[in-house]
Order: sequence, then structure tokens, then C-alpha cells
Amino acid sequence: MKSIIMKGKSVDEAVEAALAVLGVDKNKVNVNVITEGKPAVMGIIGGEEAEVEVVEQGSAAEEANQSLQNILDKMGLLAIAEVAGEVEGEVKLAVKGEDMGRIIGKDGAMLKSLEIVVGAIIRRSTGVMTRVHIDAGGYMDKREKALQRLAAEVAEEVERTGVEKAMPYMEPADRRIIHLFLQDNPKIKSYSAGEGKERRLVIAPK
Amino acid sequence: MKELVEYIVKSLVDKPEAVEIRETQGEMATIIEVRTAPEDAGKVIGREGRIANSIRAIVKAASAKQQKRVTVEILTEDREAK
Repeated sequence: MKSIIMKGKSVDEAVEAALAVLGVDKNKVNVNVITEGKPAVMGIIGGEEAEVEVVEQGSAAEEANQSLQNILDKMGLLAIAEVAGEVEGEVKLAVKGEDMGRIIGKDGAMLKSLEIVVGAIIRRSTGVMTRVHIDAGGYMDKREKALQRLAAEVAEEVERTGVEKAMPYMEPADRRIIHLFLQDNPKIKSYSAGEGKERRLVIAPK
Repeated sequence: MKELVEYIVKSLVDKPEAVEIRETQGEMATIIEVRTAPEDAGKVIGREGRIANSIRAIVKAASAKQQKRVTVEILTEDREAK
């Protein structure tokens, strides 16, 4: 992401000049006004120049990645964030380095907190709802595979007995992984029932 | 720790210039008070406090090596801590 600080007689002029230097459209940047400036009397005496910072918008993934990296740096952690994937409305980031345990947190709680904060930051800066996934040291990947294995075992049992089965309590994100995993199974369906902490994912015959 | 909170909060609001962060170091604990423009408070707190709680969790993880407890308080217009 490129940014530039520019002065001008007015905010508009300073922004115009910055856009010319960056070579981008006005709707592709964020403008932070540093000082509004004051017009000079009769165009010559006194007056103060306006100063603005113009930041070129990157893609949602780039912005999310930069925000995550800034947070990790300020947390004092030795880690590097990178973009692992980007599809419409969804960004995947992966963290590598030391301190993985602290970045993951208990049962992935820290990753979730980082996802919420980074998600909120890029929603504000891009104005678009984007789901942010953050993995560290392959933790979420392993977790996803473990959940899929569990779902496959239960699905097999349900198919054999013909009796539906409720899974133990899971976070919404974990239920989502299982719903997505089972959606293409021709003999099995999955749904969630109950409210709040009582909500359970149920695997049932079709 | 102040810098971390300041970066996150300023990235979440529409008026970063109105954000004030005050850090008070006690013997046992550090308190970080966050003040924003009234219309921005909700953006820092989030639905059911989701964002505020995530900021607290991040600060807690970042301060794990210190002996002190760090609390983050988000003050709204009427100075009531949320």
C-alpha cells in the first residue's frame, strides 16, 4: 500500500496533487486530513497550507494482512503474516514464526479474537463485509481435518443405523466446517437445533 | 501496550483524531482508558462487546510476559465504563 503526505493551498488541492503523484483515482484512496489550513488574506498575507495524507487502498486481503502484521508487531511477537487465499468476501491469512502458542491461544481463542478485530478494521476501511480467517502454524488446518474426520465417523454410523445423532456443543465456526463438509454427502444431511449454548449440530439420514 | 491499543482503536473508528488513550500504571495493574468520539464508541465495543472483548484478549496475550494485569476500559460519553 502506497501513501503520501502532501501540502496545498486547500485540502482539495493537496488531495489533487497527491492523487497525481500516486497516479490513482480518488475513489481508490483514503484521505486523512492532517491540517485544514487557512486561506491567505487577499491571497498573499498569512494563511496556512493544508496538509493531507493520502493512502492508496489495497485489496481487502492486503489490508487485512497489513493490519494483522501491525498488531502482531505491536504485541511484541516474532511472527510474519501472509495472505494464504482470497475469494469473494473471504480472506485467508497465515501466520508463521515463533510464539505460535500465544498466537493460537486456548482452543484457538486468540486466533478468533484476531479475526474479529482484523475483520472489523477492514470492514471500516473497505466498506465491505469480509470474512477473515487466520491460521497459525497450520493449527486451524489440522483442526478442520480433525473435525471432518469426526463428522465422517458419525455420518458413517448414522448411515448404518438410520438414527440421527447430535454432536457435542461446538462454536459456530466449527459447525460451519462440518455443514460444509457434509453438504455433498448424498445419504446424509446436517442441521443445527437449539439456541445459544444449547445449540447442537445434528447429523441425520436424508 | 498503549501503542497496541491505540493502533487498533484508531483503525476501527471514523475519527482517529478524536481518540484519546490514557495509560495509568499502578503497582499491581495497568489501566488503559480509551475515549473516542461518541459516534465511534460502538465501533470499538462491537455487538455484545465482541470487539472490546477481543481487544482485551489481545492485550492480555501481549502482556503475558509482564507480571502486571492490564485492563482496558472503553469510556463512552457519560464516562461510564463499558
